[in-house]
Amino acid sequence: METLTLLELNGRVKSTLQFAMPDAYWVQAEISSMSSSGPGHCYLELVQKDESGRTFLAKAKANIWKSTWMQLRPKFEYATGQRLAVGMKVLLQVTVTFHEMYGYSLVVHDLDPTYTMGDMARRRREIIARLTADGVIDLNRSLELALLPQRIAIVSSATAAGYGDFCNQLEGNMYGFRFYCRLFPALMQGDQVEASVSSALNAIARVRDKFDVVVIIRGGGAVSELSCFDSYTLASDIANFPLPVITGIGHERDDTVCDLVSFAKVKTPTAAAEFLISRVYDTAMALEDLTRRTGDCVRERMVREKQRMQLLSQKLPSLFALLKVRQEHVLENSWNRIGIGLKNLIAGNSHKLELMEKSLAAADPKLILGRGYSLTTCGGKTVRSAADLKKGSVIVTVLRDGEIESEVR
Amino acid sequence: MKYEEAMKRLEEIVAQIEGGKLDIDMISDRLKEAQTLIKFCKDKLYETDEEVRRILEAED
Repeated sequence: METLTLLELNGRVKSTLQFAMPDAYWVQAEISSMSSSGPGHCYLELVQKDESGRTFLAKAKANIWKSTWMQLRPKFEYATGQRLAVGMKVLLQVTVTFHEMYGYSLVVHDLDPTYTMGDMARRRREIIARLTADGVIDLNRSLELALLPQRIAIVSSATAAGYGDFCNQLEGNMYGFRFYCRLFPALMQGDQVEASVSSALNAIARVRDKFDVVVIIRGGGAVSELSCFDSYTLASDIANFPLPVITGIGHERDDTVCDLVSFAKVKTPTAAAEFLISRVYDTAMALEDLTRRTGDCVRERMVREKQRMQLLSQKLPSLFALLKVRQEHVLENSWNRIGIGLKNLIAGNSHKLELMEKSLAAADPKLILGRGYSLTTCGGKTVRSAADLKKGSVIVTVLRDGEIESEVR
Repeated sequence: MKYEEAMKRLEEIVAQIEGGKLDIDMISDRLKEAQTLIKFCKDKLYETDEEVRRILEAED
């Protein structure tokens, strides 16, 4: 019976594999761990999971040697805007190797970024669909940003350059607006991002009354590690957040799902600061406008009132003159009417007098005597009947031109 | 008072005066009120509110 040393056995396995599988293969897999070594090689662990995503079906080590990695890495990052990272689905061109000491592994020769991009896009679509179904996708955007978003809760890493940029931009604003910032530190790279940012948001939510707005900003590196902001958990946290959330996550190409649900997204931390400054600026301008209008309209009103008064005072004399003329006319009219009235009164009375005079004149006894009548008196009394007289009575007959004394026989 | 409320009141006053509906007797009162509001708003914009700063820093 032939006995082999382990090295001999492994050597046979190696040569058998080399003989049986000499070609390169395109393999779909997910990266489950990743590390790089000092010399610049990249070591991956690839897995395949079942549909539930919880059970591993296959596993293999894969190495990208330095010379290959130096070419593949920039190509991949340029195409996807992301760093190769744990959790990514990748399409790799590999050859199968077996090493007597280290066992089975794959050597990576090429990496197809379109596959990863397709997978990220699919994942993104799924997250968006889920957020839409939750009815939260527009929730944060429908909040109202304070007129003065001066109290700012920042989610970032204290050491991130972007955080410094943001603070400098705010503090150095050319208008002299005041801002109050507080950092809620979070890891902005690596696989802890989701949990870390989420817990920072929770911390802010507990003191939300003290803030007007939340800003999530990142270092501003050209590419990120994994699309950690294409996360359902984070996007949902942001969408449901009670304050407007501004994302300055700084993706080169597509917006992350977090950008999609945030109140506003900007490219850089500096732009996030500018966004807030411009909001305060708008409010300040509105105040300026109101200030100006207050002064203007009070002045205008005063001018108008003055004109009104002047007009009145100009009108007054002529009004008075008119009034005077009118009153004079009334007076004159009355006077005339009194005159006419008096005249009429007098005329009426004098006519009456005339009539009376006439009838008086008609009754004058001299007029009657003139016509041939006579008047007989006896003892100074008018004799109206013959029976009034006796024999021997002396009567006086009054005629027009004299009297005759006679004795009754 | 909140900044938002102050701005709203200010807008009201301006509208009143601009609308010419305001009694002349009331104008100086309203003008004084408007100036107080403007001062309040400007302070918010440009002056450091020590209280806000203290509250935010107290938590650190």
